Amino acid sequence: MTASPAGPGSDHPGRPAAIAAVQVTKRFPGVLANDKVDFHVDVGEVHTILGENGAGKSTLAAMLCGLYQPDEGQIFLSGAPVRLRSPREGLAKGIGMVHQHFRLVERFTVAENVVLGDPQQARFIKATEVEARVGEIGERFGLPINPRARIADLTVGQRQRVEIVKMLYRGADVLLLDEPTAVLTPNEVDALFQTVEAMTAEGKAIVFISHKLGEVMAVSDRVTVMRAGAVTGEVATADTSQRHLAELMVGRPVEVETRRGQSPSDVALSVQGLDVVEDGQKVVDGLDLEVRRGEIVGIAGVAGNGQRPLARAIAGMIKPSAGSVSICGKDVTAKGTKAARKAGLAFVPEDRLGTGLVPGLSLTDNMLLTRKRGFFVNRSEARAEVETAIVDYEIKTPSTEAQARLLSGGNSQKVLLARELANLGTPDGPQVVVVSSPTRGLDIGAAEFVRGLLHEARERGAAVLIISEDLEEVRSLSDRMAVLYRGRVAVEGPTDQLSIEQIGLAMAGVAEEGAA
Amino acid sequence: MIPFQFRLERRLDRKWWHSVLTPLLSVLAALAAGAVFLAIEGLNPIRVYLDLFEVSFTDKFGITDSLTVAVPLILTGLAAAVAFRMNLFNIGAEGQLYLGAIFGSWAGLQFADGLPTIVGVGLVLLAGAVGGAFWALPAAFFKAYFGTSEIITTLMLTFIGLFFMRYLIFGSKSFWRDPDSANFPQGKKVPESARFELWGNTRLHWGLIFALAVVVAVWVLIRYTSIGFDMNVVGSSHASAQYAGIPVRRTVMFALLMSGALGGLAGATEVAGRAYALDPNGLQLGLGFTGIVVASLARYNPFAIVLVAVFLGGLRNAGIALQGLPGERVPVEVSLMLQGAILLFAIGGEIFSHNRLSLVRTTKAVAT
Ligand SMILES: Nc1ncnc2c1ncn2[C@@H]1O[C@H](COP(=O)(O)OP(=O)(O)O)[C@@H](O)[C@H]1O
Ligand SMILES: [Mg+2]
Repeated sequence: MTASPAGPGSDHPGRPAAIAAVQVTKRFPGVLANDKVDFHVDVGEVHTILGENGAGKSTLAAMLCGLYQPDEGQIFLSGAPVRLRSPREGLAKGIGMVHQHFRLVERFTVAENVVLGDPQQARFIKATEVEARVGEIGERFGLPINPRARIADLTVGQRQRVEIVKMLYRGADVLLLDEPTAVLTPNEVDALFQTVEAMTAEGKAIVFISHKLGEVMAVSDRVTVMRAGAVTGEVATADTSQRHLAELMVGRPVEVETRRGQSPSDVALSVQGLDVVEDGQKVVDGLDLEVRRGEIVGIAGVAGNGQRPLARAIAGMIKPSAGSVSICGKDVTAKGTKAARKAGLAFVPEDRLGTGLVPGLSLTDNMLLTRKRGFFVNRSEARAEVETAIVDYEIKTPSTEAQARLLSGGNSQKVLLARELANLGTPDGPQVVVVSSPTRGLDIGAAEFVRGLLHEARERGAAVLIISEDLEEVRSLSDRMAVLYRGRVAVEGPTDQLSIEQIGLAMAGVAEEGAA
Repeated sequence: MIPFQFRLERRLDRKWWHSVLTPLLSVLAALAAGAVFLAIEGLNPIRVYLDLFEVSFTDKFGITDSLTVAVPLILTGLAAAVAFRMNLFNIGAEGQLYLGAIFGSWAGLQFADGLPTIVGVGLVLLAGAVGGAFWALPAAFFKAYFGTSEIITTLMLTFIGLFFMRYLIFGSKSFWRDPDSANFPQGKKVPESARFELWGNTRLHWGLIFALAVVVAVWVLIRYTSIGFDMNVVGSSHASAQYAGIPVRRTVMFALLMSGALGGLAGATEVAGRAYALDPNGLQLGLGFTGIVVASLARYNPFAIVLVAVFLGGLRNAGIALQGLPGERVPVEVSLMLQGAILLFAIGGEIFSHNRLSLVRTTKAVAT
């Protein structure tokens, strides 16, 4: 097809792309994950694959590294057609992938992990040699890591470095990084970008995958935008803007949101001295928190620093070992989810399907899940409520009786919010709204809508608490924010007065108690 | 390398008629498979199947006998369905049936004499339900509070129940045993007032109406009451139940006890409708285990359970009747074999109705 002897799609005539995919198609049952996708990355360049969740980014990367084989189309390596039957074969040809989920053996050291399963490695390995090379690679590419450290003792950011070192050690010239920043603090993101720069300077080709526009603009030379499995555009970063990329991602113009001022009033949610112990570990440690009516407070932090137990303790799903939670002046500590609800709480948990919604039940029954039920269940009201929600929230569903499991992430989040935010602004409605990762996994349109709802909740006098690992989400939504680190508030303050450096350090656990 | 491979892909376009067609096709496939074995036996499969149908579903006595067997199958089918649909695998309806019979016959022997039939039979049924629930209690408790596999516990309790029942009649001079049956131990007959009335000169009894009433009651409970709602939630997701403040353990206990009670009712209707005594040999028919087949074929739908129970009841009934028929001498095992084959094909059919089998090319010419 478009293939020339020099290789397909290079931006430099006469020099083939480091790796290219031409018209590749990949189908999964019921899903066209990649539809005639063209993609290439040149030597010494960073080429980003940008797209919303489910756009097909990981699938494309998996075909480039040999994890999946394309149903149709062809992969070219330095201009020559190749068939990669496995990631191992890909790596042997110089293609290394760092997955969203790391594949390291926790009990082994860094150096051991680096050589583990390397087919080129001699049978007998000189540990000192490996360690020396790991150190040298680390130095060269700005990946400081102790080769003798055990993986189990490393932070997520450090583990990611190990994965990158592992690929470089095995001679990867093309590196595929699948959403590498999702697990990093802002400072770690900066460090990663420096590594990327060092790698391209040495002639590596980098495929960077992301759905965050800011990062993409900062790190890449070119961007290929995907939507629903197809490429919607390929542009040089220098010739584009965030707004333009967002439009390519969503397929229509995107509103720029505005933040309105509001004067918060009395405290509706108060958490004092909260301790939660899980598996013998204090996951929430003496936490104090207050949320007033008419404000949105955001909780940020790297995953696993106590966000989940905090939310669940407020909602009454788990018992704290010390401290208290009160909602609208009522003490609901360890009184169960019904008591918390009765006091005025609406809670949107992090797992929508499976916790917030019952997968096997109809939307009507899901609407009834957190409602008071008599001996007999009365569905007619709930059904009418679902019908209204389908119109108001633009929920895509076959009917009110469809099982919740059939809905996409965005639509199930809408159903959940419709139920939890019903009667907002009335004395019967929720006074305190706790939402975990409100827009995670949503497309830009649905995310906008959900943000609008949370703003409306604030406008109507509810106290809103947002808990999310996505720092941008917290920063864009909240009036005040706090950063959790190891179950404690590391820094806290009005969102517009906290610098990104301050937040980043707090997330990494560097700063001690901020202005709490 | 083989250039093709088979692959199962999830069907996304399941139509409602799949759920009707699948069991029907499984039955047909099972009959086809059974035909092979019948042919090996030197029997004419078509002839046997026609006889089977004729014996069970054409004349008055055939039909009423099939319905009589269907009565306990409806109840054990419900017992399995109520638990299975919540992923609680109570496979011990067999043992719960025995305990239902023990409790039921005890109540009949102890209290029914002189009472109006409706009260006498009512007591037998009530005691039977209690007996079945009692036999499910250990399994329910350990499942709810310690997560112990109910598959193991209910199965083990079935054997304990079986030997306990046999001991009461064959191994001891218990309250249940007829003192006049020294050489050939038998259960004491319950009084008339503890027996379902028969329909005319057939063996069919009012237990059928009772079983149908239970079907409706179970359906209403699951579909329209709060406890049924809670069961649906817990069956689909424990995390959701916890989130909504639904007590998971209590609901699991309730479901398993209810399942046990339904199994116990099957034993009680057998006592009140057919055996009239604690009759170990007459009760040890695998009715509880067959309930699992009934529930699976009926996809846990209470009304479909009735249809399947009648069908399998007929099959069982014919198996016995055919053996006695002059001429062919069809072994009684034929009906049991068919029953097993139907279950296997039903499970297989389920997989194909949820998935699509496709042939995919695995190699491809390099396109340049
Ligand atoms: N192994 C798989 N089996 C079935 N469907 C899959 C598989 N991997 C991905 N998909 C589907 O393919 C689509 C694209 O997924 P993916 O490439 O992971 O998207 P992204 O990485 O852009 O979020 C999604 O609809 C996803 O559900
Ligand atoms: Mg992905």
